[in-house]
Amino acid sequence: MEPFISAAAEINVDEIMAAIGKRIQEKKDSGLLKQRDIEEIIEMELQPLPDFQEIPNIYDPMLFPDFAENVDPNVQLEEPPETNPVKAILKKIRGGFAPMIRFIVRPMCVELKTDILRLQKRDRIILQSSEYIRLLHNSMHNIIVEMSKLKTEEELLKTKIKMLEDKSEFLENRERALEKKLPS
Amino acid sequence: MQVHQFLTSYAYGDAIGNEALAIRDFLRAQQIDSEIFTLHFHPRYAHQVRNYLEYDRFASRDNIVIYHFSIGSQVTKKFLRLADKKIIIYHNITPHRFFLDFHRGLAKDCFKGRLELKSLADKVDLALGDSEYNRGELVAAGFKRTGVLPLVMDFAKFEQKLLPVLGDLFNDGKHNLLYVGRISPNKKVEDVITTFHFYQKYFHADSRLFIVGEYRGFERYLNALQNQVRTLGARNVHFSGHVPLAEVISYFKLAHLYLHMSEHEGFCAPIPESFYLGIPVVAFDGGAVAETMNHGGILVHEKDFLKIAALCHEILSRPGLKKEILTGQARALGKYRQQLTGQILLEFLRSLQS
Repeated sequence: MEPFISAAAEINVDEIMAAIGKRIQEKKDSGLLKQRDIEEIIEMELQPLPDFQEIPNIYDPMLFPDFAENVDPNVQLEEPPETNPVKAILKKIRGGFAPMIRFIVRPMCVELKTDILRLQKRDRIILQSSEYIRLLHNSMHNIIVEMSKLKTEEELLKTKIKMLEDKSEFLENRERALEKKLPS
Repeated sequence: MQVHQFLTSYAYGDAIGNEALAIRDFLRAQQIDSEIFTLHFHPRYAHQVRNYLEYDRFASRDNIVIYHFSIGSQVTKKFLRLADKKIIIYHNITPHRFFLDFHRGLAKDCFKGRLELKSLADKVDLALGDSEYNRGELVAAGFKRTGVLPLVMDFAKFEQKLLPVLGDLFNDGKHNLLYVGRISPNKKVEDVITTFHFYQKYFHADSRLFIVGEYRGFERYLNALQNQVRTLGARNVHFSGHVPLAEVISYFKLAHLYLHMSEHEGFCAPIPESFYLGIPVVAFDGGAVAETMNHGGILVHEKDFLKIAALCHEILSRPGLKKEILTGQARALGKYRQQLTGQILLEFLRSLQS
């Protein structure tokens, strides 16, 4: 096993290691040094600020997993006209009861989805609204990203201010030391 | 014969830039024409360097071009297209994994740099590492002709006196621990802070930590370090930022112990500098650190922060041990002599000419 330290030949490494071990043991025995505290500090990791400029835009597939199918540009918006007159009459009669039948037998989510699709087919403005909602989602996402960037920037500015504070304090002390050296 | 140098960046206080400057001055002293060509440079050095695209005016088959390679950049492409004889001095490239959480751009450049290094393998006449560790990486990358050119250590700069004002501020009886280097994730400054916290909390409350080095570009890392200091409740942790050389030297002169926890180093200049100034060094065995220490100082093989803190206390509380360490360090310093580096470089250049 490799020794903990190595040094020039005239230095007694074993003696140093024994002295170090003894010193640490003394601190432990006196209760000043707790192994748990040491481990906690050693396990502490640096917490770097995120760099948002390097984060790829990955929200789309997660936020809108099936959005593409909802706004499929190839979807047939106009229903073909019914050619059979009997079927056309039956369809008209059924159409009158359709909302009630749907309300009784279909789950709400399917109902809503069908309604949206139907509306999209009937009216282009609804399709545009869907796009508008998507745009809103994008805007919200971008606002969150931008605010996070601003937060990161704020933290960096705080660091710079801290450095400036330290420097200004150091310069003040320096000035005092210089003043002391001036002949009165 | 003319010998010119290519660099990607010439930053203020940067070890690679300083080496390029020392090499240029040495070559000029030998009556060899020499210029430095770079992509980026600090305005302070604007009069000392030229843009790398200007090199076409100097290019010749009789010239030798030295490329200080430490990161991927477009300079490599230009260097590869030259008809001149080519040498690279490899200063090592930090593995990109260290920067992933803090600087994606740099992580990309480091990754690219290692790819570029492989592409250079069969296109240069000579590949030099500034340590045996770096030479090993060159061999692993497939370079045929390799060598070691020790980093130019200019110890004369340390002949300056301690700045009296800094002396008044910090020479107050506290034990000053020092770290010098970039505030960069591979340097593991967080480990220096944790060790210092244990030292301050359990062994010597009246102590201070100087963290001297540039942090620009790593603000998020600095933020994380400051949060760490706050969470631990460590006192007297002084981040100096980028300071002039006179201040760096003063921090060295105020320090009682130099603590280095970096996990990747191609050389690590502050270690021999601390040796020179008589500061005991405790450093973790990462990258080329063991080779740079040259059996001087205390080399730590395992990151047990409590034990390292206790080790620092042993060194600072036992004058006999400190003296022994300093003796070993003075001996280790022997291999870092500027004139030796110059002669080694001249021999490499002659061998290339013949």
